[in-house]
Amino acid sequence: MKRTKTMFAVPALVCVLTSWAAVSPGGARLDGPVPGFKAVERTAAGERPDDAVLARPVALAFDGKEILVADAQECAIKVFAEDGSFLRSIGRKGAGPGEFSFPSGVCVSGGRIFVADKFNFRVQILDREGKPEGGFRLDFPPDKIYALGEGTILVTSNPSGRPIRENMLRLFDPSGALLWEGLASRSFGDPVYDTFRNMFLVCPDGSDGFFIVYRSEERAVLRFGPKGDALGGVPVDERYAFKPVRLPFKGPTKVLLGFCWASAFDRGRLYLLEPEAVDGRDLGPGRRVSVFGRDGRMQAVIDLPRRIHRFTVDGDRIYALDEEGELGVFEVAR
Amino acid sequence: MKKLIVAVLAGLVLLSAVLFFPPSVAAEEVGGCFQEHVTCREHALNLDAPWYQVTLFLTLCDLALAKCILHLSI
Repeated sequence: MKRTKTMFAVPALVCVLTSWAAVSPGGARLDGPVPGFKAVERTAAGERPDDAVLARPVALAFDGKEILVADAQECAIKVFAEDGSFLRSIGRKGAGPGEFSFPSGVCVSGGRIFVADKFNFRVQILDREGKPEGGFRLDFPPDKIYALGEGTILVTSNPSGRPIRENMLRLFDPSGALLWEGLASRSFGDPVYDTFRNMFLVCPDGSDGFFIVYRSEERAVLRFGPKGDALGGVPVDERYAFKPVRLPFKGPTKVLLGFCWASAFDRGRLYLLEPEAVDGRDLGPGRRVSVFGRDGRMQAVIDLPRRIHRFTVDGDRIYALDEEGELGVFEVAR
Repeated sequence: MKKLIVAVLAGLVLLSAVLFFPPSVAAEEVGGCFQEHVTCREHALNLDAPWYQVTLFLTLCDLALAKCILHLSI
């Protein structure tokens, strides 16, 4: 009799514990596995001209017709068709109009190309063929650049590494007038650790606002309105796991919880690229993209055929820069 | 009264010295060290390399800054 009771009690306890563990500390119920999809390669094959080679691609943007890639080493914006075939190269090294020094960000707004021209401390505006159409000077080296609605341009910057609070986000109008600045850097007493804690990604939300995703330690995605007004955080589904990495910071080695390597937003969905272990001890770009709704619930995972660094999404298509610095076009197989 | 006059005169001499002499060359060069440090960090952060490598690169930037400043002050 005692044995029979135990036979029933143990599975019952397991069921209770399992259902209890499925509820996150924040109270959001986790519903088990999410649907998985595979993305297949759709990049146009064939020989590429020398201009098409990407030496150090650091940012990409898709405007619905063309893919623009900022090549920091070649000091150029390389333009590709939707299938990944090369179209043209814009700009060259220098400090004059139409020239760049480490272009680190690119976006398209109102049919014009905006480039974060890092070491020239400016934003340059060009037409689709690369003809300069002005721009504006900055008192900091810009990093990434995004087009929000109504001609608003969002420019990011990296903290200088000094233990002071520095704003990392600024909104400008196309003439260069500063509209808003915010998202101050945080200091934890170790310059290198601080650098990682302040690494973040931006995703315009398609309705003039934007999301901020910290790349480590933070589970919540921050929402901002079109004028930089903070709209609170969206807790990300706990089925999306942190990836810990031990790093040699000042003092004893610390564990940093890696969260996201790159991100994108398309048609109401947030896409987060999971970091992946590299050589056993390091954390690098991954090949799995998790898809979330605006409420932070995980809806699907997409496995890519290779590791990617940066990406953007348009419907079923993913345009990405892979770990070899090549542009890849992938399609989610249904 | 004498003490007050001496203090005021000493203050004026110090103020004149501060206003007359241009900023020291060393201070400008230290500014150059910080500028190079920012450039070094920007390169490190745009590497898109795995994080252990970025950590080492950032540490090298900090060491280069220290070396640059110490070299100027010796």
